[in-house]
Amino acid sequence: MLEIKNLHAGVDGKEILKGIDLTIKPGELHAIMGRNGSGKSTLANIITGRENYEVTSGTIEFNGENILDMLPEVRALEGIFMSFQYPVVIPGVNNTYFLRAALNSKLKHRGLKEVNAADFMRLIREKLKLVEMDEKYLSRAVNDGFSGGEKKKNEILQMLTLEPQLSILDETDSGLDIDALKIVAQGVNNFRNSERSFLAITHYQRLLDHMKPDFIHVLIDGKIVKSGGMSLAHELEQKGYSWLEA
Amino acid sequence: MKQFQKEFDAFLEHFSEENPALRDLRLKAFNKFKEIGFPNKKWEEWQFTDFSLIKNSNFRLSWNSELSTIPKNIPGRIQNTYLILIVNGHYQPRLSHLPNEVSVEEGIKYFKSNPEVYSIDNSSNPFLSLNTSMMNSALPIYIKNNIIIEKPLQVIHLTTDLSDKLMNHPRFNFHIGENSEATIIEHYIGSTSTSYFTNTVSKINLEKNARLNHIRLQEEDRASNHIADTSYTLDRESQLEATSISSGSKLFRHNIKLSLNNEGASARINGLSLTMKNQHHDQHIVVDHASDSCQSHQLFKYILSDRSSGVFNGKVIVRKKTKQTNADQSNKNLLLSPNALMNSNPQLEIYADDVKCSHGSTTGQIDSEALFYLRSRGISKQKAMELIVSGFAKDIIDHIKNIDIKSYVSNHAFTWLEGSMKNV
Repeated sequence: MLEIKNLHAGVDGKEILKGIDLTIKPGELHAIMGRNGSGKSTLANIITGRENYEVTSGTIEFNGENILDMLPEVRALEGIFMSFQYPVVIPGVNNTYFLRAALNSKLKHRGLKEVNAADFMRLIREKLKLVEMDEKYLSRAVNDGFSGGEKKKNEILQMLTLEPQLSILDETDSGLDIDALKIVAQGVNNFRNSERSFLAITHYQRLLDHMKPDFIHVLIDGKIVKSGGMSLAHELEQKGYSWLEA
Repeated sequence: MKQFQKEFDAFLEHFSEENPALRDLRLKAFNKFKEIGFPNKKWEEWQFTDFSLIKNSNFRLSWNSELSTIPKNIPGRIQNTYLILIVNGHYQPRLSHLPNEVSVEEGIKYFKSNPEVYSIDNSSNPFLSLNTSMMNSALPIYIKNNIIIEKPLQVIHLTTDLSDKLMNHPRFNFHIGENSEATIIEHYIGSTSTSYFTNTVSKINLEKNARLNHIRLQEEDRASNHIADTSYTLDRESQLEATSISSGSKLFRHNIKLSLNNEGASARINGLSLTMKNQHHDQHIVVDHASDSCQSHQLFKYILSDRSSGVFNGKVIVRKKTKQTNADQSNKNLLLSPNALMNSNPQLEIYADDVKCSHGSTTGQIDSEALFYLRSRGISKQKAMELIVSGFAKDIIDHIKNIDIKSYVSNHAFTWLEGSMKNV
């Protein structure tokens, strides 16, 4: 589904990713761990198409198509989603209106009928229950006045609504208490199936304990230095990263 | 100046039967206008705006006899409202529908017996003097005590189908009696490609415990010049909700004065200015807290695209010995183009201790984080920008309580937005 080959990329002329190779197949959940500044978020931003990042060499293919020249909105319509590390507050833009606009944009792209306001309300109320969010968040502006936990739940709510093929979870566990972490992990787990893939970026083992990734990759200084199973996460939790550094 | 003298002389001749007191007032006002002259760059309160186009365009007055046909469909009509229609400066009583409680005759009587509403003594604004000298349009609206008018009153000042460069000097007077309540829409619309000049003055008076929603919509043609002076005087416990939405005119200058003259008066004055191409919008607001326990809230937003420019100059004055004043003032501006320019100057002048005041100003561009966030959800860049910009304007529109007015304004703002975003 996602195939990254020898990716070199950076920002403002500074190279951050120094040759990434990563293949994610349908149904798999991969986790990337690493210190601050190792390039984890850069990788997520490059896959989703944030401007100002420069790919100097290498390729990213999604379902066999090169996505590097696609606009961020086109990538999203093709099935790529990112749960933001810092969800953005958008004053004056109603959360429900935004969610429906996003869903309709996707439905239209697939040649399907757009959903009307009443049907959408029924749909979104069901999804809200899955992440244990209060309905009051629907009538607010996007992420406006949301606590850290509610912002992250709102990201997962968007994922559940838009049903992407590839979901990138960029430090979705940061700023969450134990209860919220469980809810978010549960939301992701229930959403998993043999078609959907995930790339979770995290510092900590605790999110992974709930999600049970298939693969864990350690990113140091822009390179994947080690890959393994869940046991690697336990090892990192105990020993830190220094033993992997050259 | 010669052209204005010529027009003024013609005006006096045409209305030679006018009552002598009014005639004296006009003469006095015109002399004052000549004495003050047009604002120039050295005038602190006017320095960011160039008035030479008005000065040199040879605008002439419009005569009733030359009014061509009136459009069948009046543009800008808002549903479920009464109508006062003025076309090219001329009141159209047969096309207007007024509630029984509103009397234009009463208004004229009030106007005549209260000459202080004409007073130009304390003003250094040349356009106010010019308006007083040639006021030829608009009318007074007088609402007696203890009357609640549920349905809004829409005053449409339409400029249409001009063959010549015309000017008008409308003078409105809205008087809301004790315990009375009304919603008035003061609506300027232009649809003509010929340049024109509207120089309007509105005196708005709220008696004890009166309530007014005042919606001012400035949708003049972009070939026009619109100069306005709006002053509100609030008596004890009266409440004003004012919203000014402006998208028209090449040159727009609006002076707003709010006088909180008696205990417990409160006012909210909001403004939304939408500019594109080479438009220039300049608004000066003075809020005068002259009594105890008064409140004022101001929120002015500008959305500027292309090479347009804006000026916000807001001043809150809290007089000596007043108590329990609560005042805030905020100016927020969104630049949609690197060539757009905003000049913001919020000021406080506080001469009392017992006050709660705040003020602030921000100017910025579309938040690139917000834009990426929306796009990452599959929303196109164009649509994402529209969402962010309309979100920016939303709180101003949300303050409009009447649903028909709100829906009109919201559609108008959105249409503007779609038009302006095409160039971004």
